[in-house]
Amino acid sequence: MFSITKSAVRLAAAASIAATCATAASAEKFDIYLSMSYIGNDWQAEAANMVKALASHENYADKINLKVQVAGPNAQRQIQQINAMVQAGADAIVVYPISPTALNSVVKNACDKGVTIIAYDGEISEPCAYNVTIDQLEAGRVTAEWLAEKMNGEGEVVMITGVPGTSVDAARTAAAKEVFEKHPGINVVGEAVGMWSQAVARTEMSKILATRDWSEIDGLWMQVGCFTANAMQLEAGIDAENLLPCAGEGSNGGRIQMLPAGTEVEGATLPYAPLDAPRISYASPPYSGALALKLAVDILEGKEVPDLTTLPLPVVTSETIQLCETGSWEEQKAGCNAFLPSLVSNPGWFASIYSQELPEVGLNAALVGQPEL
Amino acid sequence: MTGPFWSALGQTRTVLVASGVFASLLALTSWISPYPLSYFDVSFMASGGATTAIAAMGQTLVILSGGFDLSAGAVVSLVNAVLASQMNPMVFDASVPFWTMVGIGVGMAVGAFNGFFIAFLRLQPIVVTLATMFIVQGLTLLVLDKPGGFVSPSLGGVYMGDAIPNLLPSSVVLIGVVILLWLWLKRTRFGLALYAVGSDPDAAAATGIRTGPVIFATYVLAGGLYGLAGVFVSAQTGSGDPLVGNALLLPTFAAVVIGGTRLGGGKGGLIGTIFGAYILMVVVNILLSLNVSAYFSTIAESAVLLFAVLAGSLSKNSPLAQKLRSAQEYLKARRQGTLVSQRKQTDNRLAFAAGAPKSDTMAPGLLTRNAAMLRYTLPAFACLLIVLVITQAVLGNVFTSFRYWDALFVLCSFLAVLALGQGAVILTGGLDLSVPWTIGLSGILIAGMAQGANGALIYAIPIVLAVAIVVGTLNGLGVVALGLSPIVVTLAMNGLLQGLALLYSNGTPDGFAAPALRWIMTGEFLGFTPIIPILALFVAFAVLLLGRTAFGRRLYAIGNSEIAARLSGVNTGATLICVYVLSAICAALVGILLTGFSGQASLGMGDEYLLPSIAVVVVGGALITGGRGHYVGMFGGALLLTAMQTLLAGTTLPFAVRSVFFGLVILAAVIALREKRSI
Repeated sequence: MFSITKSAVRLAAAASIAATCATAASAEKFDIYLSMSYIGNDWQAEAANMVKALASHENYADKINLKVQVAGPNAQRQIQQINAMVQAGADAIVVYPISPTALNSVVKNACDKGVTIIAYDGEISEPCAYNVTIDQLEAGRVTAEWLAEKMNGEGEVVMITGVPGTSVDAARTAAAKEVFEKHPGINVVGEAVGMWSQAVARTEMSKILATRDWSEIDGLWMQVGCFTANAMQLEAGIDAENLLPCAGEGSNGGRIQMLPAGTEVEGATLPYAPLDAPRISYASPPYSGALALKLAVDILEGKEVPDLTTLPLPVVTSETIQLCETGSWEEQKAGCNAFLPSLVSNPGWFASIYSQELPEVGLNAALVGQPEL
Repeated sequence: MTGPFWSALGQTRTVLVASGVFASLLALTSWISPYPLSYFDVSFMASGGATTAIAAMGQTLVILSGGFDLSAGAVVSLVNAVLASQMNPMVFDASVPFWTMVGIGVGMAVGAFNGFFIAFLRLQPIVVTLATMFIVQGLTLLVLDKPGGFVSPSLGGVYMGDAIPNLLPSSVVLIGVVILLWLWLKRTRFGLALYAVGSDPDAAAATGIRTGPVIFATYVLAGGLYGLAGVFVSAQTGSGDPLVGNALLLPTFAAVVIGGTRLGGGKGGLIGTIFGAYILMVVVNILLSLNVSAYFSTIAESAVLLFAVLAGSLSKNSPLAQKLRSAQEYLKARRQGTLVSQRKQTDNRLAFAAGAPKSDTMAPGLLTRNAAMLRYTLPAFACLLIVLVITQAVLGNVFTSFRYWDALFVLCSFLAVLALGQGAVILTGGLDLSVPWTIGLSGILIAGMAQGANGALIYAIPIVLAVAIVVGTLNGLGVVALGLSPIVVTLAMNGLLQGLALLYSNGTPDGFAAPALRWIMTGEFLGFTPIIPILALFVAFAVLLLGRTAFGRRLYAIGNSEIAARLSGVNTGATLICVYVLSAICAALVGILLTGFSGQASLGMGDEYLLPSIAVVVVGGALITGGRGHYVGMFGGALLLTAMQTLLAGTTLPFAVRSVFFGLVILAAVIALREKRSI
């Protein structure tokens, strides 16, 4: 039922665009708005940089007018903001949804007015919205399975989770726990809320370590924090060869630590250095915002786009880790997935920025918002 | 501005200012917007701002009574979660009045919980509602652990629809009904008592008002309004999200303040608050239409907050005008040579004072002299002991292992340092909400300037501290010279600093903590982590500063009565500015320490520390209205909170249960601090 109305809306939108195209000059651009959530972390900043880079690439610069707004952590504000964007005459709105459900009515209203809504990373449950995301359940399952295998199915696990009350955290944590429960030898002995922040992960790990020694832990499952956990083990006097297996985030610091010890890496200083750390590294890729923008333009141009785009889960293990020289898109296409510390000075920076679909954006896009030439 | 008409307007003046600001902002929006505002846009804006407006009206009631409610946002989330999880997904025409009553009822129940402890056990509102906030957030996650659930479309149909098609949106009618109820309530005995209690609770009690029931009813009514806001959010979103209301807390305060209600009680009303809430909302539209860069948006909002509050308070009797007049008089007196400091400095003391005979009475013993201090500091340590014993029983390694104590002191060092700054501000009766981004900006500056080099610390640390001094001075000037409420000034400063931190770091802070800084927080020195001896020195310094210096005594004097302190010759303005500078320096130190601890700085790294910094001070025996408290107690509070978090982190209890537990412990600690009813 809704697919009919949806295509009807799409037709209406296409018709209205055709009308504007007919009346205005042929150089008429699409007005596309980006409604971001909080901008206080690396992931959000990278995603925004990549969106801006794509918009300024020569393939898109003449097609779109991009305006960026931030809603902060307040869903009420995002509702108001999306509505203001509709009022301002948006053709499409790219959204990082603060809540998967709170936006439904405003999104429905925007769709009714012929505005295309596309969400990245989080999902919007209103059926008329397009979503670009990874399968969070799979992310939780794959990483927990890897850890269980590394531990040979037994031992004590410490879990550092994300932001409680969000669907992403709930899905990942539930999937991981399900895997651990299948292994009778594995005990979860500590669980703390890591808020997807390296700094919080360190405070929480310190609290757990106040009553438990590193030698009493056999594996770590962290949504964010493996880089920090490895650093803490080195500080505690543990040799690099004996680092615990850690399933966690796709930060560049963690990726560099996965490189074989002794690899020559420009700009590396401990703990942001090759350690041969036993890791599986995954992330919600920050390029999803740029991809959402690309799909929004495709939709406006009348191309067929599926309602849900599930991105391939970017998983990197010690077997597949490979250092990039420059970080260009071509180079990443050849398989590299970690960047020089001399280029990426912040170890918490997310390294999963390669998408086959986006030759317009490489390392410079994520770092400073400059597209590939 | 000074005519009889203007002064006769009295209370309504602030409402007029707020509505005027709102009207001009609205006009601006429709002028810069490319399309004219249609009925639909207006209707959507009306319902978009309604949640904040309704919740803020509840907050206004509490603030009018002289209180403060931190649980407002959490209650909105709870009601949304309850509705979304309890409604039958098969029933599309669920009864709107029934579920509205359920929502209001849940809100009132939480309000009654707050009210019981505040009105009848006479506990401090900020602490009780802080504890309630943790408990309610935990309960919400137990009811609904992730976004989802179902809210019947019938709710949306009623609240999002039109009362009169194409003329009057239902949200406007709903707010109108609340206003009518308020106008009636204001004229009842309860309404009069509410203003009386808020203006001066002792005077109100002396005139025969039973203050307990009045305060209790206020929290229940406020809870009902938060519940109504929760129902409205549910109708608006059609489903549940356990975090939906949590970010509403600060906007409700901003709305109350912009609407002209005085923090501290007794002055203001609900109508101004509604305009305050809608001003905040229109600003979003304006920022969009002007395409203001995302990094500037918090700065712009802070500016609007300050501007609206200043516009509402400017008059010939406003503190700014008084300060300007007294500065004029100072200059005049100086020219005429009649200033006190220009007189001859002769000793006018009476002769007999020096040679007075020694009193025969025994000097009181140590315990007697410090009885009051012990009374307020011991509960924190007693609770700490209990937590330690439980930790030993559940996890072990407490009394047998040095590692536990090392970790405990390292982790509590952040709160211990913050406690001095926040504690000093609270002792004077203020509150510093700019702590989070002072921490964040300082951390980003120190990491960005040091870039992992020890040598750079020589200039980086002084620069960071200098920035903190500027921040503290501006906070202090806002409070002293502009006469604004500390909460408003520091809230605006927080937004300003957030914008600056974003601009400086361009969204992604880079750089590392210098190795020396990392060593202090994570290295080893004679078996200790090096921060521990430094912390010991800091605690000694803090105890001496507050307890044994003239500055410390002035601080207590101001907290007990600013006017009495000024009349006794304390330069209250300068002392207050120093207090805010002290708080900013402490926050900056924490930013530096946290960066050393994590090895790098991140935006928002101070966000986790605002509420704990207040909790620590109050659990440590300080009175939120100022004048009472001791640093030893605050340090005990920091140890207690850290020990409890350590205990909870070592278990696999769900986060929701931990949150409830955390709230209950804070509540238990303040119940132990309860004062006997004064006569």
